Amino acid sequence: MFLPAGSQDETGVQIANRLKASEIFRKVTEKRNFKAISTPVVEYAHTFTNKIAGMDLQSMLKWFNSEGEIEVLRPDWTAAVARAIAKQHPSFQKWAYQGSVFRIDKDGTESRQAGIEIVHADPFLGESECLLTAVDYLKNIDINNYVIELGHTRIFEQMIAPLQLNQKEEEALRSAMYDKRMDLVEDLLINHSSEIKQDLVSLIDAYGGKEVISQYEIVWADQPELLSILDHIRKLIELLESTGLSEIIVDLGRVKNLPYYDGIMFRGFITKDGSTCFSGGRYDRLYRQFEQETSAVGLAFDVDLLAQHMITENSLSRGCIIAAPETHAIAEKYRSELPEDIVDIQYKLENEAVYHTVYEVIRENNQYKVVRK
Amino acid sequence: MKPVIALTKGRLEKQFLQFFKSLDYDVEPLLDKGRKLQIETSQFSFFFAKGVDVTTYVENGIADLGVVGGDTLIEHKPDVYNLFPLPFGQCRMALATKANYEWPNRKKRIASTFTNITKDYFKEKGESVDIIRLEGSVELAPILGLADAIVDIVETGTTLKENGLVIEDEFLSFSARLIANRSSLKVKRDQLVPVIERFKEGARKK
Repeated sequence: MFLPAGSQDETGVQIANRLKASEIFRKVTEKRNFKAISTPVVEYAHTFTNKIAGMDLQSMLKWFNSEGEIEVLRPDWTAAVARAIAKQHPSFQKWAYQGSVFRIDKDGTESRQAGIEIVHADPFLGESECLLTAVDYLKNIDINNYVIELGHTRIFEQMIAPLQLNQKEEEALRSAMYDKRMDLVEDLLINHSSEIKQDLVSLIDAYGGKEVISQYEIVWADQPELLSILDHIRKLIELLESTGLSEIIVDLGRVKNLPYYDGIMFRGFITKDGSTCFSGGRYDRLYRQFEQETSAVGLAFDVDLLAQHMITENSLSRGCIIAAPETHAIAEKYRSELPEDIVDIQYKLENEAVYHTVYEVIRENNQYKVVRK
Repeated sequence: MKPVIALTKGRLEKQFLQFFKSLDYDVEPLLDKGRKLQIETSQFSFFFAKGVDVTTYVENGIADLGVVGGDTLIEHKPDVYNLFPLPFGQCRMALATKANYEWPNRKKRIASTFTNITKDYFKEKGESVDIIRLEGSVELAPILGLADAIVDIVETGTTLKENGLVIEDEFLSFSARLIANRSSLKVKRDQLVPVIERFKEGARKK
């Protein structure tokens, strides 16, 4: 029997690490006063494909239900959580979730996420709590070599506002910026002033350490809206630095990859291989579909990826008791005398090398006892 | 660790080496590589692959940078930074058929290696066609009657002419491009940005 493309079995360390990552996530978020939430795996496609959520139906696992409506396996947590909590009383809420998402445009159809959503909070408080929770969690699972990147959707939006582009032109320009495709940005702005063209082409390369913010504070000295965004990013960097984190970068030219992002965007990269271990940002506009004007911010960790990067601990001693069917009960009783160890029972010793200690049940003076072999 | 660059084998490889040499980089180890697919120079680790595989290696972070034809990027749309054009590998995409061909009064059959580009081209024209995917020697398809026309890359037009085909329409022009892995560009920026800037400057001068 075979597996469909994108599905996989898991064994051993990967599962142990993933469960450990999940348990630590639960503890970290519980101690930070997040409340757990879970949404169903099966949802209506519309929850994710509506104009505001804007996700692509083609990438979802979907089918028609008996009433002809399209249902999907949850492709994203944020839109699902927004649907679930939209009708609740609009007060400061902190939610934490864990579970699978299903997408057919990724290497694995099913991937595990753990994430947080903070709604109706002071914007800076919400963003700070998101980022500090990420730092706290990564520290607790012993992942210490990572880089946090900050960006902001409104930089690009503010800069193109005077161009009065139609939706198609704006999307084409956003896509070229997303790909950092310098020549296409120039081509798309061929009928606009060379100044704005040059500003946007330069923005493509506006990534790096916090010195990039200092450079752009000079470039945008007469643009208060953009200066205020830089100030906002700088404050978040200073907060992160206060936790001892030094690897923080900015990408001022980053544009949103999901339509509902609306403000700060953040990502975490594992330094060793550059993989993205978490991503998130502000998405106030996601709640407008529920006629709510609110502050909403969150992030999600790729738990499968974290599990791969977690250090496997083999600190427990491993022992084996050699028994027989008639002495199995004796061996089982002895297990309780080794509460700190991993204890196996075998009738015939196999793979001796994996055990630190081997015991056997012997009969002496008409009595059974367990001795070290 | 040195930056890893994936190069497209074949025609683009030779043109890249000339460009790379013009930037005063060490090319000696790359010139006598024989059949080796991985080469180390004093500054970089290179490996060689088919164009579409170059995009896969860069997308998955095995290579930090890649040199690949613009046609491959349009056709396969990999999730990479598609930075800028390089001054070699210039080609056009064309619709071609037999000289004086009388189009039949039915849905057209178009053969191509670039099925996504072909689909987008006819969609833009508002015309339904049947697309036949071929892996190579696409020019044979109209001659042998498999298809009415082809959509393929044209560099000089000599291959088309020698096979009795004429260009009906040219609709895309492109060159080789420098691509980058989305994370590498940020995490290894101190290593990669000077290289990218040197490539950009070299491309601008040509």
